[in-house]
Amino acid sequence: MIKDYFIIPWKEMRRRKLRSWLTLIGIIIGVAAVISLITLGQGLENAITEQFALLGNDKLFITAKGNPLVPGLTTDAVVITDDDLEVIRQTSGVKKAAGSIFLTGRIEFNDNVRYFFIGGMPDNPEERKLLGEAQNYKIMSGRALRKGDNFKAVLGFSYTDENLFGKEIELGDKILIQGNEFKVVGFLDKIGSPSDDQSIHIPLDTFSKTFNTGDELGFLVAQIQPGENIDAVAARIEEELRDSRGLEEGKEDFNVETPEQLASTFFIILDIVNLVLVGIAAISLLVGGVGIMNTMYTSVLQRTKEIGVLKALGARNSHIMYLFLVESGLYGLGGGIIGIIIGFSFAKLVEYLFLIFVGPAFLSIKVNVFLLVGTLLFSFLVGILSGIAPARKASRLNPVDSLRYE
Amino acid sequence: MLKDYFHLAYQSAKKRKIRSWLTMIGIFIGIAAVVALISLSSGLKNAVAQQFVSLGSDKLIVQAAGGGFGPPGTAVPVLLTVKDKNTVEKVSGIDITVGRLIRVVQLEFEDEVKYTYAVTMPDDDEEKDLVMEVNNYQIEEGNFFDKDNALEVVVGRTFADEFFERAVELRDRIVVQSEIFKVVGILEKSGNPQQDSALVIPEGSLRSLLDITEDFDLIASKVQVGENVDRVSENIKQELRKSRNVEEGKEDFTVQTPQQVVAILDNILLIIQGVLIGIAAISLVVGGIGIMNTMYTAVVERTKEIGILKAIGATNSNIQLLFMIESGFLGFFGGLIGVILGFSIAKLVEFIAFQQFGSPLIKAQITFTLLFGSLFFAFIVGAASGALPARQAARLKPVEALRK
Repeated sequence: MIKDYFIIPWKEMRRRKLRSWLTLIGIIIGVAAVISLITLGQGLENAITEQFALLGNDKLFITAKGNPLVPGLTTDAVVITDDDLEVIRQTSGVKKAAGSIFLTGRIEFNDNVRYFFIGGMPDNPEERKLLGEAQNYKIMSGRALRKGDNFKAVLGFSYTDENLFGKEIELGDKILIQGNEFKVVGFLDKIGSPSDDQSIHIPLDTFSKTFNTGDELGFLVAQIQPGENIDAVAARIEEELRDSRGLEEGKEDFNVETPEQLASTFFIILDIVNLVLVGIAAISLLVGGVGIMNTMYTSVLQRTKEIGVLKALGARNSHIMYLFLVESGLYGLGGGIIGIIIGFSFAKLVEYLFLIFVGPAFLSIKVNVFLLVGTLLFSFLVGILSGIAPARKASRLNPVDSLRYE
Repeated sequence: MLKDYFHLAYQSAKKRKIRSWLTMIGIFIGIAAVVALISLSSGLKNAVAQQFVSLGSDKLIVQAAGGGFGPPGTAVPVLLTVKDKNTVEKVSGIDITVGRLIRVVQLEFEDEVKYTYAVTMPDDDEEKDLVMEVNNYQIEEGNFFDKDNALEVVVGRTFADEFFERAVELRDRIVVQSEIFKVVGILEKSGNPQQDSALVIPEGSLRSLLDITEDFDLIASKVQVGENVDRVSENIKQELRKSRNVEEGKEDFTVQTPQQVVAILDNILLIIQGVLIGIAAISLVVGGIGIMNTMYTAVVERTKEIGILKAIGATNSNIQLLFMIESGFLGFFGGLIGVILGFSIAKLVEFIAFQQFGSPLIKAQITFTLLFGSLFFAFIVGAASGALPARQAARLKPVEALRK
């Protein structure tokens, strides 16, 4: 009996192939658009989460409040200095801490001038490791900065590309940063984000000479002792810094944040953008639903006589109704399945293109079972809902009249 | 003859009311989405352009190059200085020149500590007038400070109402960095969110607060009447190159006219607009497929009719035209309703945005080009979707069609 509810609609769909396909395409396009946008948005979030997870969940970031747009860049209002770093090192529960600073610098090579981020890095390899782990730096060729280095520089991956300065920079080359000559001693591996790949690392004391920053630092990273509670350590650091900077509680001029807290700001913006895009894409699903409704109305009209025969043979209103609802539901479900496949493939393709042209750090597409099942259910629902009105119309046909219908 | 085509198409669309309506709904949802997005985004573009046009076409803006995100002067390698301002001032063709600082400051009000950008106001009266003109500062309450080292500030309307938990009023005291400042004026709402949440402070006061002697973040100039702005801009570049000792092509500063700044913003907005409309247009494709579906069904249902028409002498092209006009009609009327709906949505968004945020930046812009463009486009979508079914209808063999 239940089998019949599926066989009859299936046969009907196959009988009118062209129409069924066109109806399906409407849903397919809508589902594919929604799925690929959601997947790409999630892929971006995954990538960011992975980046922050690399930082580890035992690290705290300390920045000056004030510059709301670019954390870590110095502003005149509040600065973080070596003294603060020392205070954090003394705080109980902190294993080690390191500081770094980034500023835009004027870089000259091969008679070209460009402006990119220059970072001051500590010469202690342990400390640099802490920052390096935090930022995902790996040496590709040459060597890292070491103690006693003066006016030496490690360059980001982009500098090996001749497009940047009209000529590839090689190990041992001399470049000018802020008018000072630096020797290139190493190159970093590709990180994937242009601003990271275009940055240059120089020793911290050289940095403060080059930029006249004194003992100022842009941001500090603290690693906690194993077994310590990260929130408790964060609170202790806050307290110690308040004391040493002479501030009352609630009037802090600095932030102590875990990687997750840093990431959450990104996610809020991403979620809003994603919501808008998916919302607009969902309009096409709505239109696809209207298409199903249209097809079903036409189908009812064309099968008026058939419905009359079924009713004459004893079919009840509800039987007829189910028959049509199953058909419209199948349109939704079928369109959903194909749409999901196309949507995922499209997202994967975009991921692949990003991998080739930009780098690995931007997208990480994962098959989300929840999204998959949710979308199937949703498209099935769209099908059923679009079919309700036509199915009701079909079920209420008067058997005598419909038998007579020509 | 032509009348007959329309008459026949209209009659058959009318006969199948539900189907025609549903087909049109498919198109008008898509058109409405596209029209609403276009009119809102071009409204935004205009509003942005207007903000800059109010600067006037006789102004030039000098900034240090290589800055990061944020306002002028953020993280630039070589800041502009008082010396640069003097250099620009002496360039021939320049009328008045002002320098401004835009810096983050710590504020404390009613035990609440927050950080925001403070912009400076120069001391010189002529320069002050230029700043007032360029920024269109209008005082709503109180006055502007008149001493360069006065411990007084003027704040924007949004700043006064929303920045701190308690609204800031005239004569309230705010601690800026370490000094107590008195709020002596509140600016009228301009609609530019940046300006409305600004804190304007005398240049001398900020300099002594932050211990800045030489720097400027932004230099703006007014060109003398009758001078060519582009030529003056070239002169400034040349003089600054000399005084900052950089070669051509290696400038560490930029000289821009307001128009150039607008052009950059326009490009960004254009990309955003393109993405949004591209996604919205997907629903138009789906709507088009709906039309195609309806037309195929119509051809099947009217096979006999087509046979009769052919038997009494209709040519293939007659039949083709008949069906294409019908589908074009569906597109056109779908488009008509869509345009009306789209404009209404855009107007509604504008109204809500104004009520909620008082933002005049979101404005629905309704142009005739957009109106007729979308109608024409909807008609084309309809006709194109009908092309295949119409061909099928036209190629039916009259004898077989009659036998159906």
